[in-house]
Amino acid sequence: MLHYLKVWLASARYSITRTMMFRGDFLVWSLVEFFWMGVNVLMVTVIYRHTESIAGWNRNEMLLLLGTSMLIQRMLMGFFWSGIFEMGRNVRSGNFDFFLAQPGNVMFMATTRKVDPDGLVNCVVAAALVAYSATELGLHPGPGTIALYGFMLLCGLVIHYSILVLSVSAVFWLTSAQGVEGGYFTLAEFSRLPREAFRGVTSVLFVWLLPVVVVSNAPARVLLRGFDPLWAAWLAALAVLWFALAVLVFHRGLRRYASASS
Amino acid sequence: MRAALEKYRQAFLVGLQSNIVYRWNFAVRGFFSLFHLAVVFTLWGAAFAGSASIGGFDLRQTLTYFVTLLVLQFLISAFNEDYQISEEIRNGLINQFLLKPINYFLYRFSIFVAARLVTGTLILLPLAVALPFIHDSLVFPAEGWRYAAALPALLMSAVIQFSIAYCFGMLTFWFLEIQGFVILSMAVEAVLGGQMFPLDLMPEPVFRIAQYLPFYYQMYFPAAIITGRLGAEQVLPGLAIQACWVVALLVVNQVLWARGLRRHTAVGG
Repeated sequence: MLHYLKVWLASARYSITRTMMFRGDFLVWSLVEFFWMGVNVLMVTVIYRHTESIAGWNRNEMLLLLGTSMLIQRMLMGFFWSGIFEMGRNVRSGNFDFFLAQPGNVMFMATTRKVDPDGLVNCVVAAALVAYSATELGLHPGPGTIALYGFMLLCGLVIHYSILVLSVSAVFWLTSAQGVEGGYFTLAEFSRLPREAFRGVTSVLFVWLLPVVVVSNAPARVLLRGFDPLWAAWLAALAVLWFALAVLVFHRGLRRYASASS
Repeated sequence: MRAALEKYRQAFLVGLQSNIVYRWNFAVRGFFSLFHLAVVFTLWGAAFAGSASIGGFDLRQTLTYFVTLLVLQFLISAFNEDYQISEEIRNGLINQFLLKPINYFLYRFSIFVAARLVTGTLILLPLAVALPFIHDSLVFPAEGWRYAAALPALLMSAVIQFSIAYCFGMLTFWFLEIQGFVILSMAVEAVLGGQMFPLDLMPEPVFRIAQYLPFYYQMYFPAAIITGRLGAEQVLPGLAIQACWVVALLVVNQVLWARGLRRHTAVGG
C-alpha cells in the first residue's frame, strides 16, 4: 500500500512540475473547465427564469446538486481523467506496453499516472457553488454532516472512476474508445438531475440499475435533508460493487491486449 | 473541371471507407446519445410539470427541438475534424498537399461530407429504436416552406461547422496544442448554438445579440426553422446573415492557411 502511495506521489510531483512548465496551457485548461461549469449554471438559471420548481427542487437546491455533481467530476478530472483517457489511445497504438512493464498493478499504474492541477483548481469553484447555494438556502451543516458529505463525495468519485474505466476498457474489444469516452459524459449528465424527476423506466434504469443519480443526490441530500442511513449504505455498497466490476472488466480486456494493433 | 471534381470524389470515397471502419464506434456513440435524450426528456418533463408552456412552447415542441438537434449533430456538425487537421499539420502530413495540385480545404471538406454521411446514417439506428417510445412526444409543424427553407440553412450550417473546425485546426501553425481552445469554444457553442436550451428562452437582448453570431447558425437556426421556433419573417434575414457568415469564415480559412504556411517548416522527405 505504501509502495503505491510512493508511486502515486512521484507521479503527482512529476505532473505538477510538468504543469508548471506549461503555465499557459494550465491557464487555458482551467478556463475550459470553468467555462463548462458556467454553462451548466447558466442552464439552471435560464430554466428557472421560466419555472419555479423542477421535481420539487427550487433553484438553489438545484445549484447545490449541480455543485456536488461538478465537485465529484472535477476530482475525477484532476486525479484520473488524463491517465484513463490516454489509456484508450495507448491500447490502440500499442504504447500500453509501457504500463505492463511497470512494477505494480497495471490498472493502478495506467489510471493514476497523471494528475491535472487545472481540474483540482476547479474543485474550489465547484465547492464555492455548493457553499453559495447552502448559504442561500440558510443551511448550517455541523462538522459531522460535512464529514459525511465528504465521505459520500469519495464514494461518488470511486463510482465515477469505475464507470470511466469500464467505458474506456471497451477499447480492448472495439479498437477505438473515442465514442465510449463521450458516453461517460452523457451518463454524468444524469447526476445533475434530482432523483424525484425520474419516473417509470428511467427511474429503474438510472436510479436503481446505474448509479448515476444516487452518486450526487445522496451527498446533496445529506446537506439538504440530513443523514439518511439508507442512502449512505446504498452509495457505499454501489461504490464497492462498481469498483469490483471495473477491475474485473479491465483485467478481462487486458487478456485481449496484443500490443501494437495498427 | 471534371478532373478537379474527380480528385475530391476520390477523397470522399477514401473518407467514406475510413469512417466505415469505425462504424461500431459511431454506432456506440449514437446509442449513448439516446442517454442524452433521456436526460433532456427527464429534465424538461420535470420543468414543464409546473407550467404548461415555457417561452411560448409546450413540452412536446421543446422535446421535438432537442430530438431534431440530436439528429442534426450527427448530420452536419464537426466531430473531430479540428484535431485531424491539427495532427496533419503537427506531424508534417500536410507537406504532401503542398506539392500536389489539390486544395487542402476542399480535400478535408470532402472527407467531412463522407464522415457525416456515415454518422448521419448511423444515428438512424438508435433513433429507430427510440422512436416507438418518443413518437408521442414529437410534433413537427405542417408548413411545407419550413422544410424548403431548412435545406439551404442546413447546408450553410454544415459549411459553418466545418469552417470553424478548420479555423481551429489552422491554429496549430501558431500553437502546439489546440485541444484547450477547441473545448473552450465547445462550451461557447453549447450555449450560443442552442444545445443546452433553446436560445429563445434567454433574455430578449441576449437572444438578439446571439442572432448576429456564427454559433446561432451552427445548429439552432436550422433546428428552429424545422421545429417552428422561428416565424416566416425571421427566416429570410436569418438566411442572409448565415450566408454572410459562410463567406466570412471561408475568407478567414484561406487567410489562416496562407499565413500559417508562411510559418510552416517542412522537414525531411
